[in-house]
Amino acid sequence: MMFNWLQKLGSRVLLRLSSLGAALVMLLQSLLVLPGPRGWQRLTQQLYVVGVQSFIIIFVSAGFIGMVLGLQGYTLLVDYGSEQAVGQMVALTLVRELAPVVAALLFAGRAGSALTAELGLMKATEQLASLEMFGVDPLHRIVAPRFIAGLISLPILVIIFNLVGVYGGHLVAVEWLGVHSGAYWGNMQAAVDFSDDVMNGLIKALVFATLVTWTALYQGYTCVPTSQGISEATTRTVVYSSLMILGFDFILTALMFGGL
Amino acid sequence: MAKKWLEISVGGLLVAGIAALLVLALQVSGSHLGGASGQYRLTALFDNAAGLSAKARVTLAGVTIGEVDQVSIDKQTLMARVDMSIDSAVDYLTLDSSASILTAGLLGEKYVGLSIGAEEEVLADGDMIEDTQSALVLEELIGQVLLNLGGD
Amino acid sequence: MSQTNLIEVRDLSFARAERLIFDKLNISIRRGRVTAIMGPSGCGKTTLLRLIGGQLQPAQGQVCVFDEDLSKLSRDRLTSLRSRMGVLFQSGALFTDLDVFENVAFPLREHSSLSEDELRDQVLLQLEAVGLRGARHLMPSELSGGMSRRVALARAIAMGPELILYDEPFAGQDPIAMAVLQRLIRALNDQMQLTSVLVSHDVAEACAIADEVILLGRGNLLAQGAPEELLNSNDPMVRQFMHGHADGAIPFHFPAPDLMTELRTESGRNQARSSGVVEAVELN
Repeated sequence: MMFNWLQKLGSRVLLRLSSLGAALVMLLQSLLVLPGPRGWQRLTQQLYVVGVQSFIIIFVSAGFIGMVLGLQGYTLLVDYGSEQAVGQMVALTLVRELAPVVAALLFAGRAGSALTAELGLMKATEQLASLEMFGVDPLHRIVAPRFIAGLISLPILVIIFNLVGVYGGHLVAVEWLGVHSGAYWGNMQAAVDFSDDVMNGLIKALVFATLVTWTALYQGYTCVPTSQGISEATTRTVVYSSLMILGFDFILTALMFGGL
Repeated sequence: MAKKWLEISVGGLLVAGIAALLVLALQVSGSHLGGASGQYRLTALFDNAAGLSAKARVTLAGVTIGEVDQVSIDKQTLMARVDMSIDSAVDYLTLDSSASILTAGLLGEKYVGLSIGAEEEVLADGDMIEDTQSALVLEELIGQVLLNLGGD
Repeated sequence: MSQTNLIEVRDLSFARAERLIFDKLNISIRRGRVTAIMGPSGCGKTTLLRLIGGQLQPAQGQVCVFDEDLSKLSRDRLTSLRSRMGVLFQSGALFTDLDVFENVAFPLREHSSLSEDELRDQVLLQLEAVGLRGARHLMPSELSGGMSRRVALARAIAMGPELILYDEPFAGQDPIAMAVLQRLIRALNDQMQLTSVLVSHDVAEACAIADEVILLGRGNLLAQGAPEELLNSNDPMVRQFMHGHADGAIPFHFPAPDLMTELRTESGRNQARSSGVVEAVELN
């Protein structure tokens, strides 16, 4: 009984390891090649799908999150008479944590799931097999531009998230609650360091972009090509990406901002 | 037309990203373009610079005129050495100006406050402010009060 | 190797998920003819097509196409070999983000250096051959099933292949579309001196255009010969498939224990259940 259980656990671990290996091989195979003559065009196409189409959701969420931070920060700090520090709080929370994490979660839901479903459908309708028969490697043609587009898009979306969030906080704290505008920006500028805070946030964004896009493409590329298989793969993309984003966020935070 | 729109919007996203990064650098983190140009450096030694850190404001009569670059230990005197960058428009800090470490509000951040003396000559790049007053350390203050009470 | 055989499969074994699909299969397909590979669903017809296209690797044995053993070819050689084959996938497999014109132009853009004008002429000629020149601006989602297969056919012949593989070309088509496809397959084969291999389980349609029929079953070759020969065969399994009898050598029932014993234990275990449930079990 015990032996059986151990055996099951062992084979599961092996299975996970082998699929991790397969995912790594897929990533390397798709990237270790020069883009073809129309590579830029394909990349632009994917930047549109992955980046531009995620813009609105990022913009709106960032606005609301900035406003909530402004409101919460104000009510918390006003008790200590330090409400002018609200700018510092909004900016640091956003730049270091919330912008990369929330943007990556939204990105996984919006772009990641779409990538998985798209690749799964291409597989189900034999488009990938068909490419192969025309002597075109689907990893280079389909997977690579989508991966690179994800890598470029998410950091840009995070930068925009930061800025929109900071102005959302400004709207609530300064315009509505009457914190002095100079104090809002001044405290923020004194507290936020470009290379320590903004850049570390962007490194997080880059790591999350790799995780989400990679997961999404691998799940789509290897899914069972039926409608049920595609829907399961899409769910897995969102679940795995979200867990990885949160887990890696802790690791990265510990490495970047210390405390452990 | 659809293709044009696609390319324009992707270009727009990239430009928006770069512009947003620029605004983040300037407006949010307060970086300065071109580094030290338009500024000059002053140094001051304090007995105690507790709570003061790089990027803290330097003010004159409550107006920000520069920022702290670095807080370190001066090896000869074993005092706290504070390097500051001052806006070069502020060229009227006299040689006998004094610097003190102040606190914004009861729990607020520390900053350096300068006040101007009576000399004719003014401080130039690399000069040192002689007259300094250290940070107020709450624990020491409480200790002094208790000591005074005990002496009564 | 012989001049007349374009495809030779020798001692091929292939398993998927521990189920043996082929067990030492030997077949040969002759140049210049229309060969239909038939067999009941799940006997590995499409798998065989994938093996011939080099998209799957055999566990054992050889698949030789154009006198080359596919499993021994390098990636580049396989790619150049594939440019001599055209494949019509079951679903058509048109690229959904390209319109009809661009779909047909795709292999030309990939593998030839035609100028834009030459390419346009070439694509229009291929579309004309399948009767869809007027539909060149439509997207794949706007096409009917039969039309997308015809576009896919135009795309498959665009590079002037020597061999075309058809995966279930007649499945799910209305009678008119079926007749159109039949005519196209036969006409292309004869006019372009192609070799055509089609996988199908539509006996009548496939027999009507095939020169030769290969019947697969139970992981191996059941019969090979001209359509009439197989239709008049005395072998019970061949007869059953070719004439479409529900029960026979290939049983109607999936292997199961005896019905009455199973029903008894079933009803014995569920005495509280109504008789309606027992009836449902019986139907299953």
